Amino acid sequence: MVGSPVLLIAIPLLAAFVIPLIGMIWKELVRIIPGLVLAYMLILSATLLYYVSQNGIIVETIAGWQPPWGINLVFSPLTGFLATLMSALGFLVWLFSYRFKRNVDFEPAKKYFIFLMLLIAGAIGIVITGDIFNQFVFIEITGISAYALTAFYTGRNSAEASFKYLMMGALASSFLLVAIAILYSQLGTLNMADIASKMHTMNPTYKIIALIFFITGIGIEAEIFPLNGWAPDAYTEAPGPVGAAFAGIVVKAGVYAIIRMIFTLFDIPSAYDFLIVIGLITLIVAETSALRQEKLKRMLAYSSIGQMGLVIVAFGIGTHEGVFAALFLMLNHAVIKPLLFFSGSSLVFNSKEKQIAEMNGLGKRMPLMAAFFSLGAFAIVGLPPFAGFWSKLSVLSAAANEGLLLIIVLILIVSVIEIVYYFRVVNRIFFQEYSREKSAAPHRPRVNALVAMFVLAIAILVIGFYPDAVTGILHNASKDLLNTDEYINNVLQLGQSLTR
Amino acid sequence: MDDKLFEILEFGVYGASILLILIGLYAVLTKRSLIKIVIGMSIIDGGIHLLLITIGYLKGGTAPIFSPGYEEAAGQMVDPVPQALVLTAIVIGFGVTAVALSLIIRLYRHHHTLEIDEIKRLKW
Repeated sequence: MVGSPVLLIAIPLLAAFVIPLIGMIWKELVRIIPGLVLAYMLILSATLLYYVSQNGIIVETIAGWQPPWGINLVFSPLTGFLATLMSALGFLVWLFSYRFKRNVDFEPAKKYFIFLMLLIAGAIGIVITGDIFNQFVFIEITGISAYALTAFYTGRNSAEASFKYLMMGALASSFLLVAIAILYSQLGTLNMADIASKMHTMNPTYKIIALIFFITGIGIEAEIFPLNGWAPDAYTEAPGPVGAAFAGIVVKAGVYAIIRMIFTLFDIPSAYDFLIVIGLITLIVAETSALRQEKLKRMLAYSSIGQMGLVIVAFGIGTHEGVFAALFLMLNHAVIKPLLFFSGSSLVFNSKEKQIAEMNGLGKRMPLMAAFFSLGAFAIVGLPPFAGFWSKLSVLSAAANEGLLLIIVLILIVSVIEIVYYFRVVNRIFFQEYSREKSAAPHRPRVNALVAMFVLAIAILVIGFYPDAVTGILHNASKDLLNTDEYINNVLQLGQSLTR
Repeated sequence: MDDKLFEILEFGVYGASILLILIGLYAVLTKRSLIKIVIGMSIIDGGIHLLLITIGYLKGGTAPIFSPGYEEAAGQMVDPVPQALVLTAIVIGFGVTAVALSLIIRLYRHHHTLEIDEIKRLKW
């Protein structure tokens, strides 16, 4: 054992507050420390994930209080998988943004890395905590650092996007607090496993009201349809690597919180149908909006919302295959979307407006970036030899096994729309003439950025050609999510035996 | 305290917390000035905190502190958990308000206005 799950939260939090102090000694340390911390977290969570797959889940109690009363952390195959994914992505985002812009000097870099560390600590906290109020606190940590990261560039109109996000996020967190108040007044406990075991005693009306408040509260982070107005603005105005962090880390944490509520805490069968409906609406609205976007990052933002809609549809199917497909989609989205954000923000690096029209003919000037972008585009629409194909196929087959033909038809139609708008960009990159006035000037990305993109591209190819490399982990994780009784027993008994 | 009076009081406090939440929502949804919107958000937070505190209150309750000689008082103690939650929530609300106000300063420098109708560069 290299450490315990609590370090996954404690170390980045500590690093976030120590960074400015260390910066006084040597300025370069501000950029180096986050990388070391994230590399350690990646190693730690990967080892723990392996340990968990062999020996069963780890329950960590904080300060010696037994689970129903104290806060506990649960490192199971599902939460471990997500924590590992988030630390890996956090590391790649760090690698890409090590010196993202030459002119970003010490002060902004310091703020950027502090908020990045807080963002990752909060997101991992949302995933591995076993206490509902603790989860609320981590949602707030993630939210506040995300608002700050959105407003990172003072030159752009980022304060408006950030304020929009903050308004929605603050209202949502109030609703979350109301939901927690309802649950606590009815059940007298805040521990998730304890809530899940007592849920059947709760009045169904209160149950549904609490669930509605929860979904409204967390839906902001998970980009569910009527609550995702912040996403396109925030992705457009935030720096490129931050967009990758939102798509790969924040949204995953939000989706996890929702499915934990619906699968484990609230046993309301019709909630699954609700997930399917809301997911399909999100998917269709987002992909049709993406079709008419003229800015690159805005298009990627809508595509990211659409992918999350698809993930939620797959979770809504509710069977083992459905959950497996949803987790596979989450993994693929976390690998592909950062590659698109990284290479896309390098392609439009020198343009002011970040328009898609400015990418004309960049394929000849920046062949490597263009190749990475097209690899990402091919993978996310689900062309066969790449990663996205397997996840989309598993969603379709999970829906087919349940006889949900309408879902299959809609997903296929939406995939065609997706192909149209991604290939429009690829077409502009490769088959349009470069013009000195209209196109963006080529930009040479730094070596660390290239390495980050190479890693992601290799991951896409590996998952594409050899999906068995990840399916074992995903099957374990989906079994873990569906087995509610085991979760309750493990947390309550294991936690109690630890403190005795 | 009289039972009847306590019931009326309890009802009144629940009503007040819900009223506060509604007043805050009204401010957030209808006011045009950014500052007023943030004030509305704080009022909502206040209402929710009051609601949480009221949930944990017990008639004739005492402070939840164990001390020698008062062991039998355990049944009379108010629930300390909602109070801990509210303390945390107050701190979080403070942080969010601070970030919101600093963003308003940035917006004012950029647009030279606090009217929300005139700040609409970004659209869906």
